[in-house]
Amino acid sequence: MSFRKRLSAGEFVVLAEMNTPKGVNISKMVLDSRRIKGRVDAVIIPDMDNGVMKMSALAGGVLMQQQGMEAIIHVYGRDRNSLALQGDLLAAHVLGIQNLIVVHSEDMAVGDHRDAQPVNELDEPGLLAAIRTLQEGNDMAGFELDGRPDFTTGCTLASFKDSELDLAEKKVAAGAGFIVTPPVFDIDTFSTFMEKAQKLNVPVIPTVFLIKSVAIARYIATSEPDANLSEDLIKRIRKASDREMEGIKIAGETVAALRGMAHGVRIQTLGWEHRLGAILDTAGL
Amino acid sequence: MITAERKPLEEIIASVKPFQRILLVGCNECVTVCAAGGRKEVGLLASALQMHFMTEGKTIDIKEITLERQCDPEYVEELNVHMDQADAVLSMACGCGVQEIARRYREKPVFPAVNTKFMGASERQGVWAERCQGCGDCLLGLTGGICPIARCSKRLLNGPCGGSTTGKCEISPEVDCVWQLIWDRLKALGMQDRYEDITPAKNWQTGRGGGPRKIIREDLAE
Repeated sequence: MSFRKRLSAGEFVVLAEMNTPKGVNISKMVLDSRRIKGRVDAVIIPDMDNGVMKMSALAGGVLMQQQGMEAIIHVYGRDRNSLALQGDLLAAHVLGIQNLIVVHSEDMAVGDHRDAQPVNELDEPGLLAAIRTLQEGNDMAGFELDGRPDFTTGCTLASFKDSELDLAEKKVAAGAGFIVTPPVFDIDTFSTFMEKAQKLNVPVIPTVFLIKSVAIARYIATSEPDANLSEDLIKRIRKASDREMEGIKIAGETVAALRGMAHGVRIQTLGWEHRLGAILDTAGL
Repeated sequence: MITAERKPLEEIIASVKPFQRILLVGCNECVTVCAAGGRKEVGLLASALQMHFMTEGKTIDIKEITLERQCDPEYVEELNVHMDQADAVLSMACGCGVQEIARRYREKPVFPAVNTKFMGASERQGVWAERCQGCGDCLLGLTGGICPIARCSKRLLNGPCGGSTTGKCEISPEVDCVWQLIWDRLKALGMQDRYEDITPAKNWQTGRGGGPRKIIREDLAE
């Protein structure tokens, strides 16, 4: 069943993030995706996440579809103006991409091309509205399209704060059909958030982030207090005989715990896509 | 100077309509020079607003004041004595002035009466043109003192594009091709060699690419 159908049928969707290479060597990406083929409902392809120049998500998405996996690609306003975005969206549809996530783009100043000129013509609600306009058969200038694209489009939340929920309402009104949340490290606080998120009336897909080391856990706990990554969790990884495996177990357990609570899950491994299978194993998927 | 143009009267009316007592604040600096928001324009706008509201059978209080410099906290303090008698502020300064008032008087709504346009110079009486985009990394020394960032439609750094015809830009016959101007000037200076140099991709981080900018002079900052 397609991602769209599962979403509308209320089935739990399992999504795995799959990064494009910095370069043209796609063997790792292809190999990692084959390992999880048939075990996830779709793969999410970020586009130059964190401002790091990489092969574009459009190409990555097409590549994944060629491997027989449904792709969801990121789109955002930092690097492309309204013409380039619309052109790429039409291209995406023609090349078989049916799903999009409109994401926030990190500032150029934090990426690896700090000298580059940012565009930022469209913000997230603006881009969502543009996608809707294309789907209705017109471009942003009001000209009629010869054939309209069709997408299932979602958006993200920057944090679990109430202000982000208000913003999400705007994004849903602009056309977002599902919402992807930041990483969940504490199920209890997430369940409180889920109650609040009911008002959005769209499927909510939390993120499960693979903690690869104590250092990363410590970094998240101190730099992002809203993430609710507890000292107990850090202690659990620190005390484990195999810390790497413990991180995978924690991710798998979180996925399993979220099954009854949310509409799906996005598993984020940031370069450790070869361990996605192990996470799915511990999650019992 | 920073140039500005007054907003359409209808837009200004719409912004101040809900308020009874308006403090209309001009600025003696750039907006005075470009005839958008100085003492004279403050007077003209006040009269226009009074007339409009009179035709609607409504009277409003407009207090006119023109500060020496609206982007400077020191001068903005002069508004203290008037603020109690104002429901809203209408500023005729550039965006910097509007924001300085908004920062200083948090409880008062502030509305801009002008559209801030660009950093430019006067070409002749009544004509101002863009000269600088504040890119933060001035290359005028390489281009004969004429800026391709601010004055070329495509911000080209290595000579004109194919749209340059008889010294004019393809976007409009009114717009000079800045690379024609640069070439003419380099030739006059005997610095044609400079034109052969390849200028690499510009670092846009010193401009808006690096986010909102700030200058901190350690020797002056308190």
